[in-house]
Amino acid sequence: MNALVALCHFCELHGPRTLFCTEAVHPPSPSPPQPGSAIPGDRDREADREGEGLTMRANSSATQRADMCEGCRSLPASHPGFVSVDSETGIRYLSHQHPRQPQLFSVVRQACVRSLSCEVCPGREGPIFFGDEQHGFVFSHTFFIKDSLARGFQRWYSIVVVAMDRIYLINSWPFLLRHLRQTIQSLQDTALKVFDNEQCVCPQRAVRMNSAFSPAVFPHQRSGNAARSLTSLTQHSNLWASLHSSFSWLLKACGSRLTEKLLEGAPTEDTLVLIERQTEQEEEMSGWDCAEGGGSNPQPSQSESVQPKDFQFDDGRQEDLLGPKFKSLRHLRQVLGANDFRQLAWHVLMGNQVIWRGADPGLIQSAFNVLKALLPVGCVRAVSYSPHYEEAYRCNFLGLSPDVPIPAHVSSSEFSMLVDVLNVERGCVNPVSDDDILSLYQFNISSANTQPTDKGPTLLNKIEVALSNENLSVEVVSLCLLCLKEEWMNKVKVLFKFSKVDGRGKEDTQKVLACA
Amino acid sequence: MPTLLQKLFSKRAVGNDNGNARDCSTAAEQCWASSEFDLAQIRLIVCQECERRGRQVLFDSKAIHKLDASEPTADETKTPPNRSGACHIGSQASEKEKPPTYQYTRPASDVNMLGEMMFGSVSMSYKGSTLKIHHIRSPPQLMVSKVFSTRFGSSTSGSTNMLQDSFESSQTFPSHTSSIGVCRVPSAPLLCLARSASFFAAHSNPVDMPSRGHSEDGDSGIARSASLSSLLATPLPSPGSSFSSGCASSYQRRWLRSQATSLQHGPMPRWNTEEMFSLSDESCSSNPAMIRRKKIAISIIISLPEREEENHNFQEFFFSHFPLFESHMNKLKTAIERAMIVCRRIAESSQRVQVYLCRVMEALGEFRMTVWNLYMAPLISEPVWLSMISQSTERNLLCQRFLKEMSLLMDHGAKSQFLSALLTAVLTHHLAWVPTVMPSSLPPIKTACQKPASQTVDLLAKSHPYNPLWAQLGDLYGALGSPVRVCRTVVVGCRRELVQRVLYILSYFIRCSDLQEHVQPQGQMENPDNPTNPCSSQTTDPTPEKTFPPKPDPLKPTACVIEKALNPESVPGTSVEQNNDTLLTDTKSTNPSSSLESSTVRLECAEMGQECFGEDSDSVGGGLEHILANQSPLLHRVQFHIGSPRETENEGQAGDLSGAGCGRGLDRKLHQRLLTDIRRNESTDSALGDSDDEETSLQELYMATEQKEYELPLPSYHVESRASVNHFGRSLLGGYCPQYMPDFALHGISSDLRLKQCLMSDLEHTVLHPALDEPVAEALCIVADTDRLSVQVVTSQRRVCEGGRLGRDVMVSNLVHTLITSALQLYALNIASDFCVMHLEDRLQELYFKSRSLAEYLRGQTRVHVKELGLALGIESSDIPLLAAVASTHSPFVAQILL
Repeated sequence: MNALVALCHFCELHGPRTLFCTEAVHPPSPSPPQPGSAIPGDRDREADREGEGLTMRANSSATQRADMCEGCRSLPASHPGFVSVDSETGIRYLSHQHPRQPQLFSVVRQACVRSLSCEVCPGREGPIFFGDEQHGFVFSHTFFIKDSLARGFQRWYSIVVVAMDRIYLINSWPFLLRHLRQTIQSLQDTALKVFDNEQCVCPQRAVRMNSAFSPAVFPHQRSGNAARSLTSLTQHSNLWASLHSSFSWLLKACGSRLTEKLLEGAPTEDTLVLIERQTEQEEEMSGWDCAEGGGSNPQPSQSESVQPKDFQFDDGRQEDLLGPKFKSLRHLRQVLGANDFRQLAWHVLMGNQVIWRGADPGLIQSAFNVLKALLPVGCVRAVSYSPHYEEAYRCNFLGLSPDVPIPAHVSSSEFSMLVDVLNVERGCVNPVSDDDILSLYQFNISSANTQPTDKGPTLLNKIEVALSNENLSVEVVSLCLLCLKEEWMNKVKVLFKFSKVDGRGKEDTQKVLACA
Repeated sequence: MPTLLQKLFSKRAVGNDNGNARDCSTAAEQCWASSEFDLAQIRLIVCQECERRGRQVLFDSKAIHKLDASEPTADETKTPPNRSGACHIGSQASEKEKPPTYQYTRPASDVNMLGEMMFGSVSMSYKGSTLKIHHIRSPPQLMVSKVFSTRFGSSTSGSTNMLQDSFESSQTFPSHTSSIGVCRVPSAPLLCLARSASFFAAHSNPVDMPSRGHSEDGDSGIARSASLSSLLATPLPSPGSSFSSGCASSYQRRWLRSQATSLQHGPMPRWNTEEMFSLSDESCSSNPAMIRRKKIAISIIISLPEREEENHNFQEFFFSHFPLFESHMNKLKTAIERAMIVCRRIAESSQRVQVYLCRVMEALGEFRMTVWNLYMAPLISEPVWLSMISQSTERNLLCQRFLKEMSLLMDHGAKSQFLSALLTAVLTHHLAWVPTVMPSSLPPIKTACQKPASQTVDLLAKSHPYNPLWAQLGDLYGALGSPVRVCRTVVVGCRRELVQRVLYILSYFIRCSDLQEHVQPQGQMENPDNPTNPCSSQTTDPTPEKTFPPKPDPLKPTACVIEKALNPESVPGTSVEQNNDTLLTDTKSTNPSSSLESSTVRLECAEMGQECFGEDSDSVGGGLEHILANQSPLLHRVQFHIGSPRETENEGQAGDLSGAGCGRGLDRKLHQRLLTDIRRNESTDSALGDSDDEETSLQELYMATEQKEYELPLPSYHVESRASVNHFGRSLLGGYCPQYMPDFALHGISSDLRLKQCLMSDLEHTVLHPALDEPVAEALCIVADTDRLSVQVVTSQRRVCEGGRLGRDVMVSNLVHTLITSALQLYALNIASDFCVMHLEDRLQELYFKSRSLAEYLRGQTRVHVKELGLALGIESSDIPLLAAVASTHSPFVAQILL
């Protein structure tokens, strides 16, 4: 919980005092750190408050010692305090007599003074909430501890919970009350036993009644008695360690008292596929490790080794290959021209095998990289550069070196297309800029397809609109593609569910397509 | 609690039994209370404390009696409203007639004591408002007080008839808006940051915020205002980049909240810190010389139910719903301010008192009614979204029922596109659905709802706790966009089942997180080992210090954590030596008188220590050598643990014995360490004379600052998790209520009479005193009329509406329309209903993707080319308000561009 807990005492000699304070120190923020530790101007604010008579400077142990008695003290000054670490969250719960964080010192001091000498609680024992935006908000529970030597045979204490989150502190009232009551009860019960023992040994009431009241001696007597610590009142030598544990627990439990169940959207299909592949890859890796341990030497086939690398856009590797590259779909479209691009994109979207044949693997790979964006990740199987033809079931993007022949069944198939990248012979020219792909290459597109590619699908039409509109930045286009892909994936899900899973007639399928 | 739970879920149990889809609209609606809640249980006291005159009671509802010949027992508080009927206040009903006459008698005897509690025995010099809550044991009562400093205008007596007019005009735009705006003191770093944000700089004057009459920018519908959460840049990359969790915006909202309320930054006045009590309408022109020290306290005292269980239930309700109570108290305060100002202008004293009493009683009546309604109003027994999250087994049934209701409603309002218009408005303003469709980057866990729960938010909640109730409230009011706007939806109609159907359907689209509560089981509380019981070890191990003489312990150094940050420049060598010395003596000394038991315990500990930390823990000397040998400018940290938290967590299991033994051993060693510390301290104190005092204190200072804390294991605790009952998701989704209510995120009413009376002032109040505890730029209300099949949006930014209509009609978004049509047609084709609901979610996700395209498009644009959007993205002009609102949840800059 974003709060601190402190035990306070109204000392008969020194007034309200903070005895013991447990604060939660949170691990560094998961995001850019806020200026928190040292706020400039903090000193000024503290100085301002000094006028209220509530300020004591932290760490000025010399001055503290002067006006402190055993009753105002928990841990000796030499004691380093306690810490408990929540290993799960990294939150450290620190206990000292005073808060370590200087900006909290006066906050706690204020809370202590208000709880014990300003606010009025009916019956003097019980819970109160008070606070304001400047001093923080406080849930306070005041209580008495029996002391056979004290005036009225009891001393007055309070436990305060200080937070800036007013609402949460109030929300937590029933919880805090329930648990602080328990803590207080336990302290009171223990002190009562000690009190009863002491009374048996030496009944103070009798002593007091029998001793003659003398104004001269009285103050002296009282100051002698005022110095009993809570440790001595409870005869609990581990008291502060135990209180540290109690308070730390309280802060943790109160902070995690309520949890939210917050749902996120389903991951996109692309994310799902990527995650799936990653898991597969990891399993494969561990499988290899085992196999190697066994002494065998597995040789993964080439296509297998290419695939997992391929879907992760391996930009680093692409950078290594020199030469011109396609930077975006729009760039590709500009280079190929609208007609050729349309034809190419049509084949990509239809799931046909797209073969690029040329001498520049870098260029071909960059073409595949931009074309991939048209398809869901799960539909991309690329062999970026191969010395021999690969069948369509292995890959829908295939890069080949210039001399590789295309099998007849492929070149005659309407389900494949070939882009030949030919070097433009211009003799020995000066190195041209990378952008000027057309000055270096010429692209020949061929396919046995007879269907018209200029009508549909709608998806392609929309993509073309986005690509051709120069007003839209590359980022907009890629988000637009994402939208379109998701839209179509959703249609596909419906169609699949409808036709495959439920096995309906054609008429109904048409209806479904119309509405999806 | 059981009866309340039973009440809340009894209907579900029935549904389980017969299994068939029952008509939701006839499902009973329940409310919170398990018994009557009497209006007289709420008492109002107004007190003032003056430097010279002391305390005076300015109002005590207990001392006021209504004098009305026609109704002898006419004190409206005495007639408890019919449970199923509306809570009508007498003064409301007889508004047209002569106002009631009141008699003020002697204040009750407890008023002095209460005054003492309200102001405290010592007056604080703080000028802002102070909030206090007291619990009075007998008779059981809760008292909530707000104490304000007062503010006078430059002229307190110059009252003319003109002032009446000025009052009337200022009521439409409450005068203290400006004062609050001006008084915002951005002294905190967060606010300084906000100040520097360019958006804020451009509109740094919050007074201008509700730009009335500027209808030209009406279409954007986005207020020009700054809000903390929207302005604090974006500490996280937007979703889709490396931190691509779907909940990025929810995450960010929560993270900012945890930072804004963090104690580690110390007190940071966030907003409306200097709220005062105005005793004059001219609040702005206050002359500092005129300010006298005077405080006014307003207290609401609620009598708690007699029966223990009801008492408990009410308190749980009260404390979990406190922001709403507080917001209404602020409203009450405003009314009291007004009453005081108005009555001061009346010359004749008896009439002055009557006017004052009348006005305050009326405001109190309203407060009582609101609280009563909040507690007693019928609720949607099975909000669709929350039920789907929490009840995985019934998901299919729920989907089926939901789609059935939706298709019925679709058919009903087909001609007017009622459902499409309503959902357009709801999806535009109740934005909490957006994070629930943002794609997760995490592999799906096959939960029944088929959506992953956010793990990042979960982790955040643990490491940087925020208030889940606050988050939920923001979700329900749709306060996710930037600038922050809050929205409620009211469904009006005389056909009960139709209204209930609409409510039921909307409870799917108005979303929020579900809350779980983790509490100690009842039995655990009494367990002596309960961590809240600090004296437990005392009882199990009664006389440790007297039987064992303090003995140096070979393992002692490992019992604590020496987490030493060594920096040779800042740490004097002597102190290291000195430290080394003590540690070495510790290790050298032997333990002559150890009992059998303690030595075995110690052995176990030693083994554990070695298991946990291997070589490092075998000798402290080695550790120190390590430290000293590696002195470099870098920080070195050496840690020795014993009984790590993980170890203690396993306590309940088989390794119980050693764990517990070690714990006790550790305990013992610790207190021995404490004792030796104390003794050492004492001995130095006594041995050293006064002359050495300075040196000792220096040493103490060093010890205190450089020596690190003893580590203790964090007590493990067993908690029971259960669905939380007292949360806004359960309480703010109202059913078909007898009367309009200002708090509900969603509810239905039969007549819009009272709605028309109150809505505008309620919306204005929401902007001034949002229950959300966060600045709000605009408050909206969607009013869906099932009789006329119309949907309107009313805003706090008053715009001229023709023909006395409340708000503006909603333009149907084509995307929303096709989305609903598509899902319902699939349903009509008998496709499995959970698939249809999933399809609906997919389509909602498409809206989210489109909003991202829109945001990206707007990033580089100064003008929106609607045709371009239509062609490339399928976004039409009717979709733009919706998508812009969605975009503002993930891309705050969108609001700026669309202004």
